[in-house]
Amino acid sequence: MLDREKTILAINNIMEKNEIKIQELPFLNKINLRLNPNNNQHMSICENILETILPIQSNTYSQNKKVKSIWLSPDEWLVVYDDDDDDIFINLKDKLGDIEASVTDISENRTVIRISGKNIFILLSKFLVLDLEKNLSTQTSCVQTLFVKVPVLLLRNNKDNQTPEVDIFVNKSHANYIYNLIIDGTKNLDF
Amino acid sequence: MFLINCPHCGERDQSEFNCGGEAHIVRPKNPLNLTDDQWADYLFMRKNIKGIQFERWNHSNGCRRWFNVVRNTATDEILKIYNIGEKAPQIEGNNPKTPSGEPIIGSGNYSTSFEKKQ
Repeated sequence: MLDREKTILAINNIMEKNEIKIQELPFLNKINLRLNPNNNQHMSICENILETILPIQSNTYSQNKKVKSIWLSPDEWLVVYDDDDDDIFINLKDKLGDIEASVTDISENRTVIRISGKNIFILLSKFLVLDLEKNLSTQTSCVQTLFVKVPVLLLRNNKDNQTPEVDIFVNKSHANYIYNLIIDGTKNLDF
Repeated sequence: MFLINCPHCGERDQSEFNCGGEAHIVRPKNPLNLTDDQWADYLFMRKNIKGIQFERWNHSNGCRRWFNVVRNTATDEILKIYNIGEKAPQIEGNNPKTPSGEPIIGSGNYSTSFEKKQ
């Protein structure tokens, strides 16, 4: 019991020292969007509704004040927004139809864990087989990979001169597992 | 473990991918006219080469896209990556001697080497 208290104290010290913060974001609307990127009409409909472009370049995302559109594959995007009204989903569904495009509400599928602080790339790299410095090098980088054995989507959320901040999109059932792993990972982190 | 250069996502670890087996196996045009042996041959029999092999891979924990890979199964060296639907590229020096000199087809063991039934 004493060891456990010491460990928790040590973790708290390391987290405070490196200003590491971990939180689960409140409910966000998420739409899985599939359409042909060569169909200019569909692309412009999406851009008008979302008021941001659907990124063509791999492993990037675009955003405005309320919407993020994240590249998942050459013909698939994840649209994330925290607006309460469902206008975006209904508009996309109505305008795109369901013959050459697919609009699916997957809000309940994933949750978002936001981790920020100094040296979080070193902390996260304990669990990833990915070079984070390379793959999250730009301000609008995102990357899909495995976190230990759990499929995740990582999104860089900070500007170049800010403290690193990464959003981890993960299945709800795995969120607690990942949270515990990150906490545990700080224990013997030699910063 | 080795790295695979996904045509869409870039260089990633092999653990993010799944291998879909041998590539360029054409489905018979008239399955109903085939004998059981011919149908089994199409369904189950694979070359399993120890050397340069053409394979299908899926980036299951990334973009979830399929693509073809030319891989030396003895050394895990990847010689070429190309899209599904493209013709198999000519790779020079096909099936070189394996490092330990076993037969190129079969499990690599002389006693269990594969001989196709006539």
